[in-house]
Amino acid sequence: MLPIRILTAVPICDGHDSAINTINLEFIRHGVEVIYLGFHRSAKDIVRAAIQEDVVAIGLSTYNGGHIEFFGEVIDLLEQRCPAPPIKLFGGGGGTITQEDAQIMYGHGVDRIFFAGTPLDEMTKYLRSAYGAIAQSPYDSEFAGSDQFLSRQLTLADDGSGLSPQASETAWAGDKPVRGTRVIGLTGPGGAGKTTLIDELVLRFLRSHAEDQRVAILSHDPSIVGSGALLGDRATMIYSQHDRVFMRSVGTRGMAGGLSLSTDRCLKILAESNLFEFILLETVGTGQEAIPFGIDKLVVDLSVLVMPPDYGSRLQLQKIAMIDVADVIVVNKADLQGARTAVAEIESRIRTNRKGQRLLHTQANRHRDSGVDQLFELLFTDPETNTNTGTGTNTGTPQ
Amino acid sequence: MTSLGQVVLAIEKYRRFVLDETRKARTNEEFGQQILQRWQEAKAGIGTTLTPTGLRLPRLALPDLDEAGEIARFLCEEGLPGEFPFVTAAYPEQYLEPAPTSSTDNENRRNGDKTVVEEPTRLFAGLGLAEDTNARFHYLSRNQRSKRLSTAFDGPTLYGVGAGAGGVFGKIGEGGVAIDTVEDMERLYAGFALDQPNVSVSMTISGPAPILLAMFLAAAKHRFGPDVGAKLRGTIQADVLKEVQAQNELIFPIEPSLRFLADMVDYSCREMPRWYPISISGYHIAEAGATPVQQAAYTLSNGFAYVDYFRNRGLDVNVFGPRLSFFLDCGLDVEYIALARVCRKIWAIGMREVFGGGNRAQILRLHTQTSGRSLIAADWRNNLTRTALELMLACMNATNSCHSNSADEPFTTPSEEYARYAAHAQAILLEESGLFKHMMNTLPGSPGMKVVGNAVEEAILEEFREIEQQGGVIGAVARRYQRSQIQASGHRLESQIYDGVRPVIGLNRYCDQGRDWPEVRMIRTPKEKKQLQQDRLQDFEKRHAGESERCLNRLSDVVESGGNVFEELTHTVEHCSLGQITERLCEVVGKFRPMV
Repeated sequence: MLPIRILTAVPICDGHDSAINTINLEFIRHGVEVIYLGFHRSAKDIVRAAIQEDVVAIGLSTYNGGHIEFFGEVIDLLEQRCPAPPIKLFGGGGGTITQEDAQIMYGHGVDRIFFAGTPLDEMTKYLRSAYGAIAQSPYDSEFAGSDQFLSRQLTLADDGSGLSPQASETAWAGDKPVRGTRVIGLTGPGGAGKTTLIDELVLRFLRSHAEDQRVAILSHDPSIVGSGALLGDRATMIYSQHDRVFMRSVGTRGMAGGLSLSTDRCLKILAESNLFEFILLETVGTGQEAIPFGIDKLVVDLSVLVMPPDYGSRLQLQKIAMIDVADVIVVNKADLQGARTAVAEIESRIRTNRKGQRLLHTQANRHRDSGVDQLFELLFTDPETNTNTGTGTNTGTPQ
Repeated sequence: MTSLGQVVLAIEKYRRFVLDETRKARTNEEFGQQILQRWQEAKAGIGTTLTPTGLRLPRLALPDLDEAGEIARFLCEEGLPGEFPFVTAAYPEQYLEPAPTSSTDNENRRNGDKTVVEEPTRLFAGLGLAEDTNARFHYLSRNQRSKRLSTAFDGPTLYGVGAGAGGVFGKIGEGGVAIDTVEDMERLYAGFALDQPNVSVSMTISGPAPILLAMFLAAAKHRFGPDVGAKLRGTIQADVLKEVQAQNELIFPIEPSLRFLADMVDYSCREMPRWYPISISGYHIAEAGATPVQQAAYTLSNGFAYVDYFRNRGLDVNVFGPRLSFFLDCGLDVEYIALARVCRKIWAIGMREVFGGGNRAQILRLHTQTSGRSLIAADWRNNLTRTALELMLACMNATNSCHSNSADEPFTTPSEEYARYAAHAQAILLEESGLFKHMMNTLPGSPGMKVVGNAVEEAILEEFREIEQQGGVIGAVARRYQRSQIQASGHRLESQIYDGVRPVIGLNRYCDQGRDWPEVRMIRTPKEKKQLQQDRLQDFEKRHAGESERCLNRLSDVVESGGNVFEELTHTVEHCSLGQITERLCEVVGKFRPMV
């Protein structure tokens, strides 16, 4: 059985995340998969994420007022999408939500408000009893081509049981030409900045590609079988909160190597949906031995290894298996000490490999970073027109 | 080594210096005599005061010492009020009623840049639209000699989002005042003589602080003429580092945020010499769950990081140093007996030894707020007692100004009734009671206060060493060090409360009232007012449509070319709204990527 999957967030123009951080940890401890969207999030962003993640409930923690309107807006947006079963909305705000407020909010369709002083275990108990047994069955074909249709397919694929081939076929968006969706895999140790890099690449995609073109992100976070997980990649993303981006967070549920048991099935569904130009596949933070995409690149069209400059000694570098396999190696955080050493060491390593691997250095946390621009060019332009087969690095040295 | 590492060395060196001086006073007879003589002079210079009951007391209490070594230790370790290292107080006669003799003039001159004797009361207010908050300011300050206005802004303003933006309607004027334009800013402080020395304004906002201060300056110029800048008194929070570490209200990435801040500090030091352009804040760090030691350590280290940054920008530490101010939380943990005392000492030593700051740059000027987190909804009138105790601790630590929370704050923006009780609590402590008004050092100096102070000081240094290990404050921020520590402490605090290890009366102990709900009237901003704010904003943008694009383009140019962004903002705000400006700046410098 799958864990309960919920989404938590703090509303727009509110940064009070102390309570939600504590509550998230408590939920996870009790086996809930929590997709945390972060603070200062609009109703639109929250509903989009809830649909794409196919959660059974949304939990909002609000502290600086306007909750009646905000919860109401979330309910309205949810109703427009007609998710089945309906996504439940619960929340709390210490003493800022009064009993009278709660009555109004219940009238709008809010499922449950937790008042000041509610013990944490009372919340988790409620979660279990109210959201623990919600069945999610496939959507009718009239929903084909929609995000919720797709996300339900992913849910059923994740379960490992419910994916019917017919369901996958109906996802084909009518008679549109089949897109040559390119799958780009990004892997690397935890803290290398993969999520930030993906978000920056998405920004460039949104700006350079036509309005009807979309990108999907399949993001993995570690989890243990039968227990909860915090799927938090969305919380640090800025530009990927966009209708042209479909993002799905996946817990690995005990599988080693960086991906989940259902990754293959999910990728297939995403590719066959014919909705996306690109799929960005992000692994969990990986260890030295990981080769998550397979040696013969069975899973992705292009593989990218994102490295922080502080991987340790040259000897440690030799141990990283992915360096021999990745198409592109990125030294991110190029502003940190050791970045020049890292670039030099990796460059000489891939020169010995003689596989035409590319090396770039980026500083993804910098606005308009030219390294990210070059990476985007490399990954998102047609391979036919991008036939640089030699080993190359981007010009200049890290600052 | 970053400057923080140098601060650690300076504190360690100072401790050795204290020991050396103590020893020298005991072994070197001539030096010992000098010390004894200085002590006699200090004692002789203390005036007296007469209590209402007819008791005559000295205006400063000093320990009863007659041995040169102990006197030397006291003078070096604590110092007299208003003297290095400022442990007991930043100013010599901080809370005292003016002496009834001609020496009053002398005393006031000794107060350094405090030319007006002010009550420390500074109450935080902000609700609805500008005119509503303005009315609250007039109500709160009606009995005060000095008008000290402290402004809370609503969510959209704190995030630099216009009232017309999608999805923010419900938040307009909630939890603070809605400010979108320079015209709102004029309404906000209408009727207050901002050009007079007895009026000062504080604005609690960080992300868009330069835009808001530019609006404040522009609005003041409209009312008081183009030269009013030099007369404006007040503080703007503008603490971007603590936003990253705890409060999450940052708009631009750290680097441009620091640059805009430095531009503002540079400008205000030149053109607004009576303004405090930053309030280095531990309050939100503590409210997010930090321990008192973490609060002090992260706040002080952030302060040193700003000093370092401004100095590297070529600003003079003796010009901007005296314009820095601090803001700390005061809760009920035992550390608060001595926390601010230790902070003043560390700051003074660091500023003098590492940054070459003169006397005025060494003083840590402190605003304290009682702990909001310590207030709870259950049996909520107990909050009056909690706040009173915290207020007492803050005054024992000689805070320079104070905000005491209203008991109904767990539920709502403070009602007038409870805001009044909160203000009166300060008056009862400082004016009605005899604890603080007759004599300096009435309470400090107990063995417990010293023991706690020493333990706190060492724990703060330990935090400094850890931050230094991570490449200094900015490096540690990028590694989420402070954030993770604060979150872990917050989680521990909650667990302790839920497990009952940490007693909270009415919540996990003596809960005989059950879940009691207050009779307080909720302060909410009605829909019509929210609509009015949107209409006003729309009207402003329409009237300035011809100018705004040109102004925004000029602003972009200044950002790109490395000019002083704050100086340009003082012109931009005449024709552009907060939302327009923020949006444009985000296009040029990017958005802050949230840390979780």
